[in-house]
Amino acid sequence: MSSVSLRGIGEAIWGLLVEDGSLAIGIVVSLAVTWLAAIVLGEGAHNVVGWLLLVMLTSLVVFNLQAAGRKARRKISS
Amino acid sequence: MDIGTLAVAALPAFVASAVEFVEATTIILAVGVTRGWRAPLYGTIAAAATLAVIIASLGVTIVTVVPEHALKAFVGALLLLFGLRWLRKAVLRFAGIVALHDEERIYLKEVAELKAQGLRQTGFDRIGAIVAYKAVLLEGTEVAFVVIAFGAGGAAALNAAVVGAIAAGIMVMALGAVLRHPLTMVPENWMKFGVGALLSAFGVFWFAEGLGADWPGDALSILPILGVFLAASRLSVRMLRLILPHGAEVAARSV
Repeated sequence: MSSVSLRGIGEAIWGLLVEDGSLAIGIVVSLAVTWLAAIVLGEGAHNVVGWLLLVMLTSLVVFNLQAAGRKARRKISS
Repeated sequence: MDIGTLAVAALPAFVASAVEFVEATTIILAVGVTRGWRAPLYGTIAAAATLAVIIASLGVTIVTVVPEHALKAFVGALLLLFGLRWLRKAVLRFAGIVALHDEERIYLKEVAELKAQGLRQTGFDRIGAIVAYKAVLLEGTEVAFVVIAFGAGGAAALNAAVVGAIAAGIMVMALGAVLRHPLTMVPENWMKFGVGALLSAFGVFWFAEGLGADWPGDALSILPILGVFLAASRLSVRMLRLILPHGAEVAARSV
């Protein structure tokens, strides 16, 4: 039962965070850009970094879903 | 810590846990109906104990060891990875691209598989216990994650999140035990969508706070952030219905 549980937990955590690889990579890149913006722009940017992150992530989700829709259309038409 | 802050930890943990335990209950019911209730009961208790150890060790370590700003950024990043994934999947289901989670179909499939494996008349039913253990552990890992993330605000928040998760688990499993039928009436996709949007909004708020950002109105900013995610989701559903007006219902992992 222990090997079942360890493998199960590992797979669950992986699937939990990165079921869709491109979305996960996009999130990590958005977080990195926000972090860099906060460092490079300094305290003057503290009012905008959060909104910058929000804009990047919502754009990411919309484009990712659009790509998923197109992929599904290709899948059912082939 | 005030009631509002504790509710912020307990409520998402409650809803997320309810969704996950509905899925686990379907499997436990299938095992109980086909093979008897003793083995799945032991399997469920063993999985709950494993989850308690995970939450206690990871949760307490994170809350007590990691500095506050780093903790907010770390938890924010994890919430975004987790929440946006749920949001994406719920939107794909609303648009008909991915089939809705069908508890009845999963239940019947599981019953057929368990019947095919046969049942020894004597001794402990190891298969029944393992199937129940695995179902509760796998679904519960997501619950543990949400509890740790929302409990990262401190010991009181962690306790509130744990209470929310346990309450949902008891409620859902008791309902399943009374009805002896999969909980098909629970609007799983709506709940998953709501929790996904909420986790994403908290993720943005906490990650930016972890970097030292100032939000106007402090925690009240979570509401407009949530509004942006909801608007983007609505826009996405409309866009997907234009791309595939009749839906597709492909496997979630195929898109």
